[in-house]
Amino acid sequence: MLALGLVLVASTSAGVGQLGSVAGYPLFNAGDRVDGVPLATVLRREDSAEFVSFVYGDCVARDDVGCAPPAEIQVWPACHRNLGLYDHATDRGAPVVERLFLRGVPALLFDDGTRLELETGRSTVVVFAGTRGRALRIAAALRAIDGSVLPSRPLPEPLRMEGGDPVEC
Amino acid sequence: MRRLSVLLAALLVSLAGTPALAHFDEADRYTHGACPASATNRVDPVNVVFTSWGTWGRAESQVESHAGWTAASGSAQSFAEHGGCGPMHTQSASGHGSRFHVRVRGQHPDAALGWTAFAAAHHEDLVLLPLPCGHAVDANGSAGSGFDQGRDELERRFTSAGHSSYRVWWGNTQSFKQCDGDYAGSDGWTVFIELHRVGH
Repeated sequence: MLALGLVLVASTSAGVGQLGSVAGYPLFNAGDRVDGVPLATVLRREDSAEFVSFVYGDCVARDDVGCAPPAEIQVWPACHRNLGLYDHATDRGAPVVERLFLRGVPALLFDDGTRLELETGRSTVVVFAGTRGRALRIAAALRAIDGSVLPSRPLPEPLRMEGGDPVEC
Repeated sequence: MRRLSVLLAALLVSLAGTPALAHFDEADRYTHGACPASATNRVDPVNVVFTSWGTWGRAESQVESHAGWTAASGSAQSFAEHGGCGPMHTQSASGHGSRFHVRVRGQHPDAALGWTAFAAAHHEDLVLLPLPCGHAVDANGSAGSGFDQGRDELERRFTSAGHSSYRVWWGNTQSFKQCDGDYAGSDGWTVFIELHRVGH
């Protein structure tokens, strides 16, 4: 089932709890509900992209017109997606990037704050939200699904090799 | 004094010409269901950029000739650029049922990239069962999402016809719910395809 790419892998807390050992890298989400929005589904991609996605809330899609859920947390292995990918981004016409530290780890805000990326341990957490405020509230609510990191507590520092690159997959 | 006047005039002409060669704006990397653009009315990820002679008209004709996507049906979407929001300029599809489909909006010339147009490509199924809902972008399979498939197909068709291309990490991987209940998103890589002069 996981080899199919973006698929529904769990929709219950018990199912989510089992994901950590399957993914092979630490997973984080915002619990069963965040900012008034319930966890709707969990997806996994394992093809040209690799992540586990926690989708919060619902939206109405129509013929030929998809829709953006109110919030989404994607957790990627840092060896595939990390903040270093943006080191060489051109300034000309590229999105304005805001660099900050959140819960003790480096983070970047894109798209007027509606996309947040932070590195922690061997994972990169990517938050999509309708507003900057919601993205930051979700960041504050992040927790490790294995219970090792609680909301609002410091996140594990990014794991890096000697040269500064993320650890290998 | 006259020499200074000539230099000033040249400088003014140069400055006046700047807007026509402004930068390619990639700040917003999604299409939108309407204007003004916002994070809540995003619809598709932008995953293709046509460059060099990439006017929207050239992009349309080249997609038709190299990919054979000649159908023009589909809903209208909008793109945001340079602080504004405007409707797409054109769309092309490989048919009317399950099909490849791309929406395109042109931008003004860029000093380095030339004429540019950005595009949102995908493969979508015509969903009739269990409930008919219309076109839904493919959820992921071994070939990636429908968004990735559309981008890959255009890249394959254009490079086979002699166009150069390269990929840039954009990170616009947000998932979008489709009318069949599945979710689809880009893998975050956008392909830049160079278009040739008229005559190719």
